Amino acid sequence: MKKRGNNTRGTILIENVIFIVLNILFLMILILFLYRQGSGAVVLEQSYAKKIALLIDSAKPVTEMKLDMEEAFVLAEKNGVKPGDIVKINRNVITVQLSDKGGYQYSFFNDVDATAYPDVSPNKNYIIKINGYK
Amino acid sequence: MNKRGDKILSVYWFAILLIVAGGIFAMVYVFYGTPYDIRDMEARILTNQIADCVSYVGKINSNLILNGAVKEGNGNFLDQCHLNFNSPEWKDAQFYAEVNFYNLENLNTPVLNIKKGNGNWLADCNIQENKKQGTLPTCLRKSFYSIDDKNNQYIIKILSVVRKAEKNVRI
Repeated sequence: MKKRGNNTRGTILIENVIFIVLNILFLMILILFLYRQGSGAVVLEQSYAKKIALLIDSAKPVTEMKLDMEEAFVLAEKNGVKPGDIVKINRNVITVQLSDKGGYQYSFFNDVDATAYPDVSPNKNYIIKINGYK
Repeated sequence: MNKRGDKILSVYWFAILLIVAGGIFAMVYVFYGTPYDIRDMEARILTNQIADCVSYVGKINSNLILNGAVKEGNGNFLDQCHLNFNSPEWKDAQFYAEVNFYNLENLNTPVLNIKKGNGNWLADCNIQENKKQGTLPTCLRKSFYSIDDKNNQYIIKILSVVRKAEKNVRI
């Protein structure tokens, strides 16, 4: 009788351990999924393109702005995009590209001549320069 | 053995896991699939830029009103405000701006009206007066007081409209 009781206790313990491990595994997969979604190229491209558009819209000529884009640099490097190709300004359209899938475009209404290039040091910033009105 | 299998791999437990995972995936998909809506900020910046253009440091631009008289041929004055409403990204202009100048004696009829952009979006602003709808353009109305060179007082009302719905709301 004593032996039988011990066996049942052991079974209950293993059952619970496996049960808890599976639950933790499930939660970890979900958290990883959430983290990857939040730091994905699509979300970041949109976020940076819109931030830069708002910065340019509210800027006056002969302004130099530094934008912290560390996350973008890390992701771009991972996806094989050169730092100089992350932000492109063509006429009044900004294109932010962090993967090889084309990037995200957003336009600004301020009629200025703007250029964007990566900062040399520290190399986590992007410089947005407003040269003058067109 | 049978009991353990029942608890860990039961259909019931898997159903719960699937429902929870499905719910979370759906919420994440909706959350990250919805674009950031920055049109309100764009409209505010546009309003500020127009306000600085028509009236700088509290004085109305002398190209608009001089010696208490409205200058003729100012309908396209906003073209001088460094605004570019056209973009290769869009087929039609996605902005509209209108400025009305009122004498304090008569607030019903503007003494001067200037506008720029795509007037088609104006009708949508009236629809949104009671309830804001994301798929329609964002409209912002602001007004402020200013004086001309003869210290005559005016109320300047600015209406800024930003559409860009496809890039700012889930359609």
